[in-house]
Amino acid sequence: MEEEYRILENSVKDFNSKYLDNIVLKIEKEGIPEQVRKAMLEQGFLGMVQLLNGNKVMDKKALSIIIEVLSTSSPSVAMEVFLTNVLFHKLADEQSINEVSQGIKRGTVAFAELMSGYDNENELHMEGEKLIGTKKYVLNSDADLIIASATDGNLYIIKSGFKEIEAHRKLGFRGLKFGKVEFNTKDYVKIGTKEDLVKAYEEAHPFITALAIGIAEGSLMKAIEYSKVRSAFGNLLKDFQPIAFPISMQYNELSMLKNSLYLALSNESETADILFLKMKSIELAKEITKNSIQVHGGYGYIEDYGVEKFYRDIMSLSVLLYNEEEEKKKLASKLYETEAGYI
Amino acid sequence: MWGEARVILLFWKMYEVMKMDFEMDEEMISAINKAKEFAEKYFTEELADKMDREEQFPMELLNYSNREGLMDYSNPWKILVTIEELCRKDPGLGISTTVPAFGSEVLMLYGSDMLKEKYLDPVLKGQKIMGLAVTEPGGGSDVASSKTEAKLEGDYYILNGAKMFITNGGIADYFVVLARTSPPPSPDKRHRGMSVFIVESKWEGFKANKIHGKMGVRATNTAELVFENVRVPKENLVGEEGKGFYYIMTFFNISRIYVAAQGLGVAQGILDRLMEHIKKYGPMNSQGEPIENIQFKLAEIATRIEASRGLTYKAASYLFKFNPNPVLTSMAKYYSGETAILASKVAMEIMGLKALNSELERFYRDARILEIWEGTSEIEKLIISRMMLKGGK
Repeated sequence: MEEEYRILENSVKDFNSKYLDNIVLKIEKEGIPEQVRKAMLEQGFLGMVQLLNGNKVMDKKALSIIIEVLSTSSPSVAMEVFLTNVLFHKLADEQSINEVSQGIKRGTVAFAELMSGYDNENELHMEGEKLIGTKKYVLNSDADLIIASATDGNLYIIKSGFKEIEAHRKLGFRGLKFGKVEFNTKDYVKIGTKEDLVKAYEEAHPFITALAIGIAEGSLMKAIEYSKVRSAFGNLLKDFQPIAFPISMQYNELSMLKNSLYLALSNESETADILFLKMKSIELAKEITKNSIQVHGGYGYIEDYGVEKFYRDIMSLSVLLYNEEEEKKKLASKLYETEAGYI
Repeated sequence: MWGEARVILLFWKMYEVMKMDFEMDEEMISAINKAKEFAEKYFTEELADKMDREEQFPMELLNYSNREGLMDYSNPWKILVTIEELCRKDPGLGISTTVPAFGSEVLMLYGSDMLKEKYLDPVLKGQKIMGLAVTEPGGGSDVASSKTEAKLEGDYYILNGAKMFITNGGIADYFVVLARTSPPPSPDKRHRGMSVFIVESKWEGFKANKIHGKMGVRATNTAELVFENVRVPKENLVGEEGKGFYYIMTFFNISRIYVAAQGLGVAQGILDRLMEHIKKYGPMNSQGEPIENIQFKLAEIATRIEASRGLTYKAASYLFKFNPNPVLTSMAKYYSGETAILASKVAMEIMGLKALNSELERFYRDARILEIWEGTSEIEKLIISRMMLKGGK
């Protein structure tokens, strides 16, 4: 990794120890506190997209490092950074980007319709000049600005006239609100079409990979540390093959994925390569978070040890940001250079 | 004469074949139906969700269970299928309803008549709740490392120490407690010198601290227990002094069968919901069938569940004939737990957002305990290998 990115990585690690590590449980229960948000703004974590001559520019590798390192401590905070920079800023108008980057407002994107299992009875639609209806499975459902598509195929940024009407169950990312939002408003701006939403999601794959890698790393490091100090049957856990072998294999696999991601971001790799990296990272993170609980035994199952949350978070991420059937079809079709894997 | 011998041989073979009958008898079918009706009637999603969110033990379910005679302790097969059926509807409520006599088997097998009359009878009648206190802070699966001590002083053992992750810890009236009564003769014989006692939760010096923040099975009550100079009457020693470790290992041969049944129920419950989802939502191919990737996953889960059921029932058949087979028991426990966890993962992946905002989300969290409690999968695998290598069955 280049020196500038190494410095960035260390500074985000410092941020974790200063602002997150000691209050991770509090964030899970009460949401992201104001002082953490303020610190995130000061660090520029919520304004990674720069507007240069009307174009949106961002350092993808830097953003990926920030998301990944934050995710090792608080996946909820990392998800907030992801939502803001990768989806919201990508799609929003200039004024909204400025407001969110400066912390005047909070923005989010309703993207769940791109995932499997989406169902909604009263989808957002136009009635005269009004946008009316609902969006389900909205992360950060208490945001001030919401980007959402309507049944007319257009994408809107909605600035007022909406509220959360139902809180969904929260398997993961418990630091963020998650619910169904109802709209009845004239206060919106058309910012594109649903295709733009799809494109933004497709371009988000490297950062979803970073989220997954961070979750895996946070969980794995806890298992490594625990296995160094916890004894059973007269030996440290790390001395037992069924503990040490899977952990070391997972550590190396994770390092390879991490390096591949940085390489892919530096080389502007093909979409299919990044998609594959994302799939492997999510799968590996599921394996690692499951094993880390196992290494901790009963202690892994209670929130105080901070291990179980990674197990919940990675499954939430998988449901919210990984449409397995569709994405595997894309990989197969690319290989065969024609439609494949649809039966 | 040879013809007669052949007829006898034929009948013998028929008898052998009959012994392999996998059909359930009417008593078991009736127990399954009773459990199913009970779960349908009382395990509402509203109650399951509330107990999960608030980490509350559903005490009223025990009253209903007693009133309707749900737990028939005279027939272990009925207990097994009841556990399976209730966990199929909801793991947290299912386990809570079927666990009030946890640890009582130790008394059944080794307790004196006095202890059985005083402690076992009210538990089996549903008047009192029991718990098993074996695991210690920092001890986990290493039972022989227990540090809780019981010193004989006159007519009492003085009990000091702490126990961790104790099911029913905050609600039980009586506990079966493992404590060290003499130092181990050598470091490699740490399992010697341990004894089992019955301790009442109302006794002075006993304290239970409820454990909050479990990821799943949050309707079950779990606590840390502290014993500070608790005076245990001498007659509350279960069986012989120094044999406690063996009693507990024997108990695990029983309880692990029931945990395997929990895993079976959880996995089956997930499969039920997954099947329903796939039939309704697909995704379907152009022939109107679910796409094959999903069919394959479904087949794998269903096969694993059936294999777990075969293992669990086979292990149970040995145990219930007083001929436990620890290898089979450990296989059943670890495989059904692993299957339940895999089923929960696959169901979440296939059902996506619908699962995330449904009871499946709770099943996913609940299932994860099954490879941890009552002996981790690692311990089960060691039991399997070591006993097989020693020539055990």
